[in-house]
Amino acid sequence: MTKTRILNPTQFPSPKPLRGGGDANFMEQLLLHCATAIDSNDAALTHQILWVLNNIAPPDGDSTQRLTSAILRALLSRAVSKTPTLSSTISFLPPADEIHRFSVVELAAFVDLTPWHRFGFIAANAAILTAVEGYSTVHIVDLSLTHCMQIPTLIDAMARRLNKPPPLLKLTVVSSSDDFPPFINISYEELGSKLVNFATTRNITMEFTIIPSTYSDGFSSLLQQLRIYPSSFNEALVVNCHMMLRYIPEETLTSSSSSLRTVFLKQLRSLNPRIVTLIEEDVDLTSEGLVNRLKSAFNYFWIPFDTTDTFMSEQRRWYEAEISWKIENVVAKEGAERVERTETKRRWIERMREAEFGGVRVKEEAVADVKAMLEEHAVGWGMKKEDDDESLVLTWKGHSVVFATVWVPI
Amino acid sequence: MTTEDQTISSSGGYVQSSSTTDHVDHHHHEHDSLNPPLVKKKRNLPGNPDPEAEVIALSPKTLMATNRFLCEICGKGFQRDQNLQLHRRGHNLPWKLKQRTSKEVRKRVYVCPEKSCVHHHPTRALGDLTGIKKHFCRKHGEKKWKCEKCAKRYAVQSDWKAHSKTCGTREYRCDCGTIFSRRDSFITHRAFCDALAEETARLNAASHLKSLAATAGSNLNYHYLMGTLIPSPSSQPPPSFPFGPPQPQHHHQHFPIPTTTFDHHHHHQDVMKPASSLSLWMGGNINHHQQVTIEDRIAPQPHSPNEDYNWAFGNANNRGELITTSDSLITHDNNINIVQSKENTNAATSLSVPSLFSSVDQITQDANAASANMSATALLQKAAQMGSTSSTSPTTTITTDQSGYLQSFASKTSDQSNQIVEDGGSDKFFALFGSNSVELMSNNNNGLHEIENPRNGVRVVSGIDELQNYPWKRRRVEIGNAGGGGGQTRDFLGVGVQTMCHSSSINGWI
Repeated sequence: MTKTRILNPTQFPSPKPLRGGGDANFMEQLLLHCATAIDSNDAALTHQILWVLNNIAPPDGDSTQRLTSAILRALLSRAVSKTPTLSSTISFLPPADEIHRFSVVELAAFVDLTPWHRFGFIAANAAILTAVEGYSTVHIVDLSLTHCMQIPTLIDAMARRLNKPPPLLKLTVVSSSDDFPPFINISYEELGSKLVNFATTRNITMEFTIIPSTYSDGFSSLLQQLRIYPSSFNEALVVNCHMMLRYIPEETLTSSSSSLRTVFLKQLRSLNPRIVTLIEEDVDLTSEGLVNRLKSAFNYFWIPFDTTDTFMSEQRRWYEAEISWKIENVVAKEGAERVERTETKRRWIERMREAEFGGVRVKEEAVADVKAMLEEHAVGWGMKKEDDDESLVLTWKGHSVVFATVWVPI
Repeated sequence: MTTEDQTISSSGGYVQSSSTTDHVDHHHHEHDSLNPPLVKKKRNLPGNPDPEAEVIALSPKTLMATNRFLCEICGKGFQRDQNLQLHRRGHNLPWKLKQRTSKEVRKRVYVCPEKSCVHHHPTRALGDLTGIKKHFCRKHGEKKWKCEKCAKRYAVQSDWKAHSKTCGTREYRCDCGTIFSRRDSFITHRAFCDALAEETARLNAASHLKSLAATAGSNLNYHYLMGTLIPSPSSQPPPSFPFGPPQPQHHHQHFPIPTTTFDHHHHHQDVMKPASSLSLWMGGNINHHQQVTIEDRIAPQPHSPNEDYNWAFGNANNRGELITTSDSLITHDNNINIVQSKENTNAATSLSVPSLFSSVDQITQDANAASANMSATALLQKAAQMGSTSSTSPTTTITTDQSGYLQSFASKTSDQSNQIVEDGGSDKFFALFGSNSVELMSNNNNGLHEIENPRNGVRVVSGIDELQNYPWKRRRVEIGNAGGGGGQTRDFLGVGVQTMCHSSSINGWI
């Protein structure tokens, strides 16, 4: 006989004494119930559950409580948008932290706090450097959430290649969207000029281009530009996608079999790039049903909340404010407003293969570099190499966080 | 055995542990209400705990206990049963090394006894005993181990050891004072740190002074890349310092010491007019200033304001301009403003020249005053007045200013590293040219299309359609000598000099 803790969703979980800490499972159940109540317009029940949640999950509690508090806030936001009168009855939630707008130096330090981004940087840069061997011009299209934070180390690595002159480096980015965090406080023009300056100090010739293009149409202008100006002789086209493709609308938004995401990949393929690196968070946040989305969010975003224990308080506030922003976007927003449409590794691999890309294994050296990098961080960070799909996965206490894949046209 | 969670029961009986101590509180068996299991790998930590796995909750005492296996004879404790068994041999006691019980070893996952901990819940269980022990120690234990060199404290001895190995061993120091233990962090920081621009400026100044002394009287071309500086050979790693061969006389000494006024500039400009298009900048004090000349090559090419942007963009960030008196950084804002001030009056400019050395603020004031008066149309008119052969007025205007611009670059001495990128200076500049870009574009010619400058590969994608959809934002800052650019430079100077300027943009200017 087996009885499980997770009760039938139609019932409330068995009452647990509310201790100082909280039970993750209990909170998850309450959150799911709340979501259901909201979507069925049950204002009274919503109010009730929100009140309970607020009491067991203060925004300054442990990592589970802070996670729950963030989701709670998102649920409230959703409830209020559905039932505006609800906001007057719910006054107990403190306002959310403002999202910090980073200076580039701050952002550089910020993305460095955990392997969350460094993992993808190192894996992608290693693959890129291998792929562009022998080319005299390297054209990198950097579609990155981190505003080019990957580039300095790439430039540095290129400069350090021995016994060969470094290639001409062209860096192309799309205009900063400012629709989702992290937000920076300078223009891309300024940012690019700094990079160019840096490249020069490393003896690398670099061109920086900003192309006005947006995720909401699948970066169609970017692709158009790349088509109009094809690669010149001995030029390698590198497309580095670091947590950016998730913003391109997929099938649940466009409700057609061929989404902008599919179109993007197809058109990318037709450009015949030398290499495409795809780094994304391994979680499915695209479900049309709120309950499922919330479940996925709860079972993923506990990770960033858990990793911030080593942060200083200000950094943690910034970091968690950004996670909260994402959670709010996933839980409270619908339609085109809901931009965070992350998909799992499995799904992305499917997409890439459909688009006629073939996976490339990351070299052993790179894997060793990633491992060495992980040693510099808290011990919960780990990595696994998946042989069946040539991917590298960053893990936190065993749970998949970010995956890194490398692709070439086939 | 105590059970805290009454709602859980197990299907199987207890799994006997090999330990003789009472450490197992209870088991429960997680069922399929968890997330579906990931593909099982033969790894320590599954992505999500295997629902078939045995969840084991140990008491804090047990977790913290180091030597759970005790010898009954002498009481010596061991961390592992195998070790205890081997020890028992010494007492001539019967001993048995346990083999792995079966091929089908039930996967075990461990939860943290701390109720408030995220790993207390079976869905967040950890896959190995050592892991949960270390976790408990780290999270909920007392930090008994302290690093000698820094203030860090650790609860787990192995963490402390690992840290001590790396603490203070390698340090990377940025000029801004921040210290890094990781090279990657240092590199990324340095790329964006304002201190880098200052550093390159200083190095350039130093090397220029050196070269000045060394090659007194010779004409040297010094080329700056747009927005970048080539640090002097003394810097690390030593990049090549582009020195051009001696220049024709009329080219040099254009960029005088700070106290000079614009006269030189203008003179130079006249002389240079028929020359080819490359604009070369000389850092501050050094001998030569290659004047960008307006030229007919540009004429057939419609100049897009984007070129202006590029130029300004590159320039504005060209912090490495030679400086005679001190290290300085030119703020973006200031650069832009200076350009504008040139538009207004030469007097203002020349006045500002010495002020460039003194304070940025004054320049800003001048510039601001100037820019306030200058509208896009006025600029166009001004540009038209210039002896430009180009059909694109704005180009001309900017070109003209260029030398002044350069001058100010060179002479800029204020140390504004901290305020460089925050302000809206660039916005101002771009606003001036950008918001008017449509106007300028349309003024120029409607047949504007792609401007291809094959010499240095700079491409400005113009296209009215694009403008209509987007504000003009395509920029290119090119540095270095892409192919043909070098050739051009050579022709222009008559010497084989590396072109590092943003030649195409210069062309646009000219």
